[in-house]
Amino acid sequence: MRRILLITFIAVCASSRLPAQLLQLRITGLDGLASKATESADITLDSNLLQMAAGFLAGADKESKDGETLKQLLAGLKAITVRSFKFKETGQYRREDLEPIRAQLRSPGWSKIISSQTKEESSEIYTRIEQGKVAGFAIIAAEPRELTIVAIEGSINLNDLSKLKALGVPSIPVPDKKGKQE
Amino acid sequence: MNLEDELRAALRREDPSLGFAKRVVARAQSRRAPRKTMPRFIWAVAIAAMLVIGLTATYEVRQMKAERAGRDAVLALRIAADKLNSAREKVVRREN
Repeated sequence: MRRILLITFIAVCASSRLPAQLLQLRITGLDGLASKATESADITLDSNLLQMAAGFLAGADKESKDGETLKQLLAGLKAITVRSFKFKETGQYRREDLEPIRAQLRSPGWSKIISSQTKEESSEIYTRIEQGKVAGFAIIAAEPRELTIVAIEGSINLNDLSKLKALGVPSIPVPDKKGKQE
Repeated sequence: MNLEDELRAALRREDPSLGFAKRVVARAQSRRAPRKTMPRFIWAVAIAAMLVIGLTATYEVRQMKAERAGRDAVLALRIAADKLNSAREKVVRREN
């Protein structure tokens, strides 16, 4: 009897988590680009790391409101994934390389809110709305010498995000690729 | 008495006196070094020191992890904000 209850409980838990996992954007098919890039950023933060980051940033920037703003912004997030590449020359990636990501963003739940396409570059912004709130956010920015994919899982206010630069978020020195402080 | 006889007399086989083996064993046991025992407080200090070192190391590792996560989060959000603003600007520019 206990075993049946346990199996039922696990099945219910698994089924309740399944839709969120399916909707979570997976950035795939870009593994070979880092070796071609002159600069690259590969950031993956899960909810535990985001919680730790929020605590650290709030403590590091106590005197200004930025720390608190960041903490609030990070509090609603479940995961952040960023893949960014800068190339010396054009043609280092193909548009087809982005197809696996675009295919996921065509699935129900995601909607394109901004799209700017020219012959050479494209910028696309997608959101996933759940119960009237942004529950997921994705950016594909493809330029001739730069490719950036951002996937953010969780509730986020896009206006707050766009103001981040104005708020002076990078007050904490961020190490560059060679480990030097900016 | 010549030398040969003197040597023979000196190296003559003799049986030990009665109780010789017992006396040897008794003397060997009496000279055995006393067993040293480490005082209990040394054990307590050692365990406390190990606990302090372990907890400090865990805290330091956690702090380093949090710092790294904080820097990564700032960089990720900065890239996201930059690309979001850039896309918005492109759309506004196109509409104008």
